[in-house]
Amino acid sequence: MWSFYFSQLADSIPFFLKGLWMTFKISGISLVLGTILGFCVGIARAGGIKPLRYLLYIYVDVMRGTPYLVQIFIVFFILPEWGIQLAAFPAAIFSLTLYAGAYICEIVAGGIEAVDEGQTEAAMATGLNRFQRTRYVVMPQAMRTILPPLVGQYVLLIKDSSIVSVIGLTDITRVGWLTVQRIPEGIMVFGLVGILYFSICYPLILLSNWFERRLRAQGG
Amino acid sequence: MIRFEKVNKWFGKHHVLQDIDFHVAAGDVAVICGPSGSGKSTLIRCINRLEPIQSGDIVVDGMSLTDKKTNITRLRAEVGFVFQQFNLYPHMTALENVTLAPLKVRKMNQNEADELGRELLEKVGIQEKASAYPAQLSGGQQQRVAIARGLAMRPKIMLFDEPTSALDPEMINEVLDVMRKLAFEGMTMAVVTHEMGFAREVANNMVFMDEGKIIETGDPERFYTHPENERTRLFLSKILSH
Ligand SMILES: Nc1ncnc2c1ncn2[C@@H]1O[C@H](COP(=O)(O)OP(=O)(O)OP(=O)(O)O)[C@@H](O)[C@H]1O
Ligand SMILES: [Mg+2]
Repeated sequence: MWSFYFSQLADSIPFFLKGLWMTFKISGISLVLGTILGFCVGIARAGGIKPLRYLLYIYVDVMRGTPYLVQIFIVFFILPEWGIQLAAFPAAIFSLTLYAGAYICEIVAGGIEAVDEGQTEAAMATGLNRFQRTRYVVMPQAMRTILPPLVGQYVLLIKDSSIVSVIGLTDITRVGWLTVQRIPEGIMVFGLVGILYFSICYPLILLSNWFERRLRAQGG
Repeated sequence: MIRFEKVNKWFGKHHVLQDIDFHVAAGDVAVICGPSGSGKSTLIRCINRLEPIQSGDIVVDGMSLTDKKTNITRLRAEVGFVFQQFNLYPHMTALENVTLAPLKVRKMNQNEADELGRELLEKVGIQEKASAYPAQLSGGQQQRVAIARGLAMRPKIMLFDEPTSALDPEMINEVLDVMRKLAFEGMTMAVVTHEMGFAREVANNMVFMDEGKIIETGDPERFYTHPENERTRLFLSKILSH
């Protein structure tokens, strides 16, 4: 029996690869966009004017304080009632980008705040403007603290992307759900689902650890 | 060159600069001393607006700090600043530390900037460390790089906030030597320091501060030998007994 399911599962491999590709696309695009958003918001929050800062705190705290499942429901089922209709794929990208941006903002702002104030003052004293100070003095130093948790966050976000299956996107998780209805060997099916996630996440875990070791070697 | 006119500054409720009137003529060296917390750092940090002031005015090389039309970046380029903690950029070599502002603010090309950078590192006596990172330099060397960086915009004024007090004693002189050289070349300087030897040699004017006020000013010889104010006397007896 087991070997029968096994060969059936082997036949489903193309289906799983399609799911893998979907997970790849959704998390890849959202992570790139979320990183851009997170850096913009993080830099603005670390150096910005007061009212803007409070606004950004609200954004970050709301996103971090509510489950992603609720956020994607709001984007997919509730926004249409206000006339904003998004198909499943853009809805997933949009919501996951906002969600990722909030966590990344927190990491970026933390990294910037860890750079000694004297660095900014020294740059200011030689006449560098705000953009130049950020670009040449603060960010290169902040990046060293930002990179390890940033890549660690990517791993969490890739795993969270499994939630997009609830709005009907056929990512790895949904492929698992659909397959287990035909092949009632849950351990086998979701074992494979787990292995696929692991194969994406593990290289990132190694990368994060490497950044972490490098940071410690530099005495940061 | 630098003129304070009835300057007041508060940190919250704390009145850290109280009605400061103070003047440094072109080519002069003013040395500022006083107990910890008296407002010395705040005073010189106001000169290039690292700290804003709440009333009065500061005029630097004819530019008023409270005038909305003053271009603060241009003003800062006229004023070099040297910090107690050096504040070198740790991710850049000594040369890159010096050339950053000429490259980005003055828009010099790389060759010109490198040439200027090497010339300045030579002036402070560490041309051979051009490609070293700050972490590879001693405190005295770092502070000399910081002085070279302060000079890189060809400022008319140099400000020093306790430039030697984070240094091991054997490195103090190499930094003071560079500062002496600048003073003798006619640089306008305001220096917060308790180095009496340096002050007697190069200062044109001594300023003693306590609790946010200028208590006494005067010629260094007279200042150290016959201070007029009781508080100055008390302070000097404390630092001289070390
Ligand atoms: N950013 C700040 N916020 C609030 N208070 C400050 C700030 N900077 C300085 N102060 C306070 O202002 C007063 C003057 O500080 P300042 O650093 O100018 O003194 P100082 O004479 O340079 O002392 P030191 O010899 O210790 O360097 C001190 O009481 C200090 O606590
Ligand atoms: Mg001070």
